[in-house]
Amino acid sequence: MSVDINTHNRRRQIILLSGLYLLAVALGVGSALLWLTKVGVSGERVGTWRVNLLAGSRDADVYTRARIALGAVLALNRSETLYYTTDHDDNGVTLRAECHYRVEGLPPPARWWSLTAYDADHFLFPNDLKRYSVSSETVRLDNEGRFSATIGAPTNSSQSDASWIPTSRSGVIHLTLRLYSASEAVQHAPGLLATPSIRRVGACQ
Amino acid sequence: MSDQKSQWIRHFILAALVVVLIHGLTIWALPRLIMDRIITGGSADLTLERAGGVILPPPTDHNQRRIVMPSPDLLYAVCFFDLSDTPFRVTLETDYPRYWSIALYASTSDNFFVVSDKNVAGGKVDLTVVRSRQAESQVVSPTRRGMLLMRLLINSDPEVRKKAEMARRSLRCGPNFETQDVLFGT
Repeated sequence: MSVDINTHNRRRQIILLSGLYLLAVALGVGSALLWLTKVGVSGERVGTWRVNLLAGSRDADVYTRARIALGAVLALNRSETLYYTTDHDDNGVTLRAECHYRVEGLPPPARWWSLTAYDADHFLFPNDLKRYSVSSETVRLDNEGRFSATIGAPTNSSQSDASWIPTSRSGVIHLTLRLYSASEAVQHAPGLLATPSIRRVGACQ
Repeated sequence: MSDQKSQWIRHFILAALVVVLIHGLTIWALPRLIMDRIITGGSADLTLERAGGVILPPPTDHNQRRIVMPSPDLLYAVCFFDLSDTPFRVTLETDYPRYWSIALYASTSDNFFVVSDKNVAGGKVDLTVVRSRQAESQVVSPTRRGMLLMRLLINSDPEVRKKAEMARRSLRCGPNFETQDVLFGT
């Protein structure tokens, strides 16, 4: 009888210990992924945008390298390209595909630049027009030399509007502003770039 | 304190150490796992067009869901390298008038080398990637495996796309091949 009780207690202990260490492994992996995707942020804040100067760099710390690998693997280093990213409007509200947004500003001082919209998984939004971005080649400047682009689900007028980046009708929007061969001044102080404003237009669906 | 109680305290301390260790290991391993998936998956994917050791993906659209944040304004060319037995040579000769660059990535995801149209005279590239440098012109890779990514800026103009296509098809990559192979596109 006492042998049975000992065997039972040992089995119970083994099960509890296995559970404890499995939980420890799950917590280790979970906390790392949570930190990379939700909690920890890296990069310099520029208005509602962030620019990570260590993207693609060998000087990146392990957290930055992991975060870049998850969200922007194969990025170029800052001497070649600067990446400004955001998923918030000027009021700090998360960009949603249920809404429409106007992105306006001065063209960034770079040899070439583009603004691209990505879905929650950081892939392009499906659309029949195959229009995913606006760039220094496609935007029209107003009298003050400013550009403007609209981002959101397609409408009747969006088909013919080359400055419209169509999205799906729901989910999060991530925006990336790429500056290829940015001016020396911006390369040295990316935080000083006059980043485009992002304002919601009209009511959300 | 009973033996059993102190044993459990030891296990809880050990479990806390496991949490920290696994957290660090995950952060360290993630870029390597993602790059391994890209290199292994890309090397094995026979659906992609190949020429002269170069993979030529179709122009980027929403169907591209292999690598996050693809740029729809760029045409890409890709090579993978393994420096276990031999250096890796890259050649290019192009007069493509728009932005292009060739970037090398280690299997840790670091961009350890980049050359672009703005710093190449006459559009000619000839470089050898090695593990340990024996000549000044060689590029040292921090890891044995890695990949090359060529970017070419395009737009909707068919003429621009045709020129970009020609430019990326002039790229040659592979184990240290001879110049003649390059000229005749083997």
